Amino acid sequence: MFSTYPGQVVVDHPVKVPIEHRFDPYVDNGGTLLSIAGEDFCVVAADTRLSEGYSINSRYVPKSVKLSDKTVISMGGCYADCLTLTKKIQQSMEWYHHAHGKTMSTAAVAQMLSIMLYQKRFFPFYSWCILGGLDEEGKGAVYTYDPVGSYERESCRCAGSASSLIQPFLDNQIGFKNQASQKKTLSLDQVLRITKDSFTSATERDIYTGDYLELFVITSKGVEVQKMDLKKD
Amino acid sequence: MFLTRSEYDRGVNTFSPEGRLFQVEYAIEAIKLGSTAVGIKTAEGLILGVEKRVTSSLLEPSSIEKIFEIDAHIGCAMSGLTADSRTIVDHARVEAQNHAFTYNESIKVESVTQAVCDLALRFGESARGEESIMSRPFGVSLLIAGIDETGPQLFHTDPSGTFVSYSAKAIGSGSEGAETELQEEYHTSMTLIEAETLALKVLKQVMEEKLNSTNVQLASVTKDGGFQIYSAEKLQQVVERL
Repeated sequence: MFSTYPGQVVVDHPVKVPIEHRFDPYVDNGGTLLSIAGEDFCVVAADTRLSEGYSINSRYVPKSVKLSDKTVISMGGCYADCLTLTKKIQQSMEWYHHAHGKTMSTAAVAQMLSIMLYQKRFFPFYSWCILGGLDEEGKGAVYTYDPVGSYERESCRCAGSASSLIQPFLDNQIGFKNQASQKKTLSLDQVLRITKDSFTSATERDIYTGDYLELFVITSKGVEVQKMDLKKD
Repeated sequence: MFLTRSEYDRGVNTFSPEGRLFQVEYAIEAIKLGSTAVGIKTAEGLILGVEKRVTSSLLEPSSIEKIFEIDAHIGCAMSGLTADSRTIVDHARVEAQNHAFTYNESIKVESVTQAVCDLALRFGESARGEESIMSRPFGVSLLIAGIDETGPQLFHTDPSGTFVSYSAKAIGSGSEGAETELQEEYHTSMTLIEAETLALKVLKQVMEEKLNSTNVQLASVTKDGGFQIYSAEKLQQVVERL
């Protein structure tokens, strides 16, 4: 029975349903992204599948966007958040160009992105970002983020739904972890081969990864985009 | 009813029929009463020099500040109302720090100058969305010196918010004489040492008092050292070279 106070009119509702006070604004659209920094190049790769639960919403939705001749951003997580965040970055970069008369460097975009993410610390963009490009010295650079803006420069990183499958492979092949051989710098061809192998293997096991692989190769000559088929099952 | 000049110099943002903003023009006049400041740009770096008007023998010359640091790589010298320059320099510092915070790189000298000039016309009834901070134009002119990725930069700003880049420039009461001297003596292959000497030489010519190490101040901006105000000893050495 309801607790009452003197004089309160108790309305007996025919159906009593508890009111749910949960707010669930996020979806995970899956997908995997990967970036590897070379001596004078950087590779940013991501599959193009957009999933929601057990359905595939689209087979070709690119997760990576070229921001400048030296910088490419790749994002996974909630696709709506990723779209908005990408737009915000592009807008800020254009604004910066007008204000300072130059294109933003990769390091500047990296710091700005961290701040953009942290500004939404208490209602974050559900996005896992990897920023790839060339630094001011022309060396390959990979910056990785968590959804609230904590970031780090690394030599290689995989994020998204198949990250736990691919990252240990990268640690071994790029970072030479648990290998007897000496660590050596890899050529662009070797990096591309490792990248493609990573995705074909991940596609076998991860239902959220597949359809196509889109690769961005950033060198001093600019950004080149390659496409490769992945399994569509 | 007659339209004299005085009808149009009351409203700070009112154009006269001839298309002039008298209050802004008067502010520019106010600079011409200020102490002289010079800035010289060389390939090695920049020199800023100012005269300090020590009006009494009881005055502590070290308490007169006319050269300010904006960021590690940018400094400025001012002429005009010292109090007004505080607001402007504060704004420039905030702008430089904000840039470093957001982009993890040092701000360009031109961007700082632009930020300072954006402030210049925010007096009177404010523009939409922008808070007005002053009831009158700033009575201060700056020489902003700094080094960025485009090399050494020297900018001059005035109360109208206009800014121009210079190789060498003088502002303040002795600016006319000082600029004639600068035009004669300045050359593009100048060393920093030569610029130090020239800055003091120019000041010496236009100052009413006899120049010594207490009534002038020097500062330099170099690639390696960044912005530095000369210590008493270092300044003394330059004065002795004259």
